[in-house]
Amino acid sequence: MMLLAGLFTQAIPVSGAGRILLLLPLCLSIAIVYKAIRCPEPRQIPAAVLPLWITIVVAMYVIGALLWTVFNLLS
Amino acid sequence: MTRKKTLGGRSFLDVPASAVLAWIMPGLGHLYLGHRVRGWIFLATITLTYWTGIAVGGVHGTIDPKEHPWWFVAQLCNGGHTSAAYLLRSTLEPAEFVTVTPAAHYGPRPVKPLVHYGHWLSIEIGTVYTAVAGLLNILVILDAIVRADAALRAAPRGVRAGAPWSPG
Repeated sequence: MMLLAGLFTQAIPVSGAGRILLLLPLCLSIAIVYKAIRCPEPRQIPAAVLPLWITIVVAMYVIGALLWTVFNLLS
Repeated sequence: MTRKKTLGGRSFLDVPASAVLAWIMPGLGHLYLGHRVRGWIFLATITLTYWTGIAVGGVHGTIDPKEHPWWFVAQLCNGGHTSAAYLLRSTLEPAEFVTVTPAAHYGPRPVKPLVHYGHWLSIEIGTVYTAVAGLLNILVILDAIVRADAALRAAPRGVRAGAPWSPG
């Protein structure tokens, strides 16, 4: 029990690449929950999740790259 | 097997009951209404997202109503998980909690016993994960309310008080 509690007590150091990769599971959970609400039949959910997940991830990376470029141009 | 067959009928209490259950634990409202697949999907997805955030940021830095109150409001939309995390935070209160700032992150830092260190970036990512899980649960609560209301409207008159009802 204390071992399990210890897993959630200490923060995990996140590197530069890690912060970019951690966007993937977050976007996946958003896509799953959204499509689980919208799809009329549960068996349609997996096929609907994938395109939405890719769309969110690509859009977020594009927005991030644009903001990073603007930040570097202005600084 | 649907809930109609197991519990008999629908009642007006289904709407608030499903909302409260969904707030306590994501997906519990859907399981109560008989939507088992959706219920388990919500339960697994939101629970995993929430506790991934806690694991990344650490419970002391992520669940902090004084440091970031508005994020805590979003986290509170996951009633059961946030209560459990807050209880864990209170139980394992460290002697001192230090947030490692961006400047200190790259420099040497003293390591003292009984001090919990939280990296600023990990705390930010963990906070976002838990808050997004809370906001997703608002959608799940609303969906549970809509489904409970739709089931209630679909039931014929005379059986809404909870009397056994079969589709006939």
